[in-house]
Amino acid sequence: MKTFKLSVLPLALLIAIGSGCATTPQPDCSLPDGNNLRVSIESSKTQLSNGCAALFDAYFDRLLTVAEGDPKSRHKQTFSEFLEWTTDSGLLSRRQAQAYYNRYFNVKFMSLAGDYNNCSYTCPRQAELLTRMEEELTDKEQGLLRVSLDRDSYYRADQLLKETELVLAATCTACAAN
Amino acid sequence: MTKQTSSRGRLRSLLPLALLGPVIAAAASVPATGPTIRLFPTTVLEDIRHTGQIAEEMESGLQSIIAKLDQQQQLYLEAKCDGAEGDPGCDQIAKQLGATYLDMLNVMNEGLPDMERAVTSTRNSLEKRLRTEVGKKMTPWDLQENLLGNTPNAAVKSQPAMRGRSGLRLSERFRQYYNLVANGGGNSAEQSLTVVASDIYLDMDEASILIARTQEEISRATLLEQLNQSFGVITPQMQEVVGGVKSILFGEFEGDAPISGPPPSDVKQAYSSPLEM
Repeated sequence: MKTFKLSVLPLALLIAIGSGCATTPQPDCSLPDGNNLRVSIESSKTQLSNGCAALFDAYFDRLLTVAEGDPKSRHKQTFSEFLEWTTDSGLLSRRQAQAYYNRYFNVKFMSLAGDYNNCSYTCPRQAELLTRMEEELTDKEQGLLRVSLDRDSYYRADQLLKETELVLAATCTACAAN
Repeated sequence: MTKQTSSRGRLRSLLPLALLGPVIAAAASVPATGPTIRLFPTTVLEDIRHTGQIAEEMESGLQSIIAKLDQQQQLYLEAKCDGAEGDPGCDQIAKQLGATYLDMLNVMNEGLPDMERAVTSTRNSLEKRLRTEVGKKMTPWDLQENLLGNTPNAAVKSQPAMRGRSGLRLSERFRQYYNLVANGGGNSAEQSLTVVASDIYLDMDEASILIARTQEEISRATLLEQLNQSFGVITPQMQEVVGGVKSILFGEFEGDAPISGPPPSDVKQAYSSPLEM
């Protein structure tokens, strides 16, 4: 009896573990594939809340692509509301949500965030900063121009990049001449 | 007596306050939309005006000489003198051309030291201002907010064309700079001046180098041309120097045309996200 119990116990444990694994559902993290932004956002929200948060970047990219298919000026607000939902549901911090929104839908460049003065902080990494701004301008082209049809803001961002380049060239020359 | 002295003393202590009153009131009325900076104090403004004057003097001195050079060169080409060595008529034209070229070098040689002083002074004043106001008092984010203080349309209207592509006379360019800086009241106009200051500073920086090089070249070119006068030769170098002077002073560019801006948009954007920074 004792021998039976000892030999059955590991088997029972294995069955229990096996059946346990089989019953836990894998989260469905397939990206939305429709053309309707509202529907895609709703399905993304459901999946992001159900274990797919690690794929947030992929979801966000897909939503932008869906929105590009039917560009509208109100998409800015739609994305803003979606990002606010992500902070309310704890997926992103407020700062992260702001970074996403402003990178794609605002004229201002997140690449220019910094707490130190230009002579000491910006000038030594001037080239790197401008490269990052150019990359960000590509995202603004998608968010402002191709998704939200906001040409004025996109061209202002483009102008801002050129102005920043000019002012930094002058300022950094002046800083170096000290 | 004591009473009078004390009231006078009180008046004296109140005087600065009374004088400062309008300044404080004006400062309080300026909307706090971004960091306010002072890039163009009176001294810098005066430097810009003076540089423009010097440029104008030099232009008027050179304008007739360069026109004469153009005519002589045209005559030389029309007479098919290029390569016709030994022809007495062509030699005569070539000598006249060389003499006019020497006149141009002399006018430049006389005007350049003044120009150099004016340009150096403007550059140094702006350098100090840019370093302090933009380099040390601002973060990159502050700079961005400062640049965004003006609307795109205002920026397009108020700014002279980008560096090196203006197609303007040098004096006209400085006149525009001066007018823009001197008459550009209001917060938004003041903020766009950061770009103008950078533009002028970089121009002046390049001009200083160019003037120094030109001064070095002038004595060499003068000597060479004095020698050439004996032989009557128009060198490609002469043509190049004349072309260079024309482009610097009169804004005559043969190369790149200005690049046009994007078409104006009529899409209205009123939405402002709570996430916006």
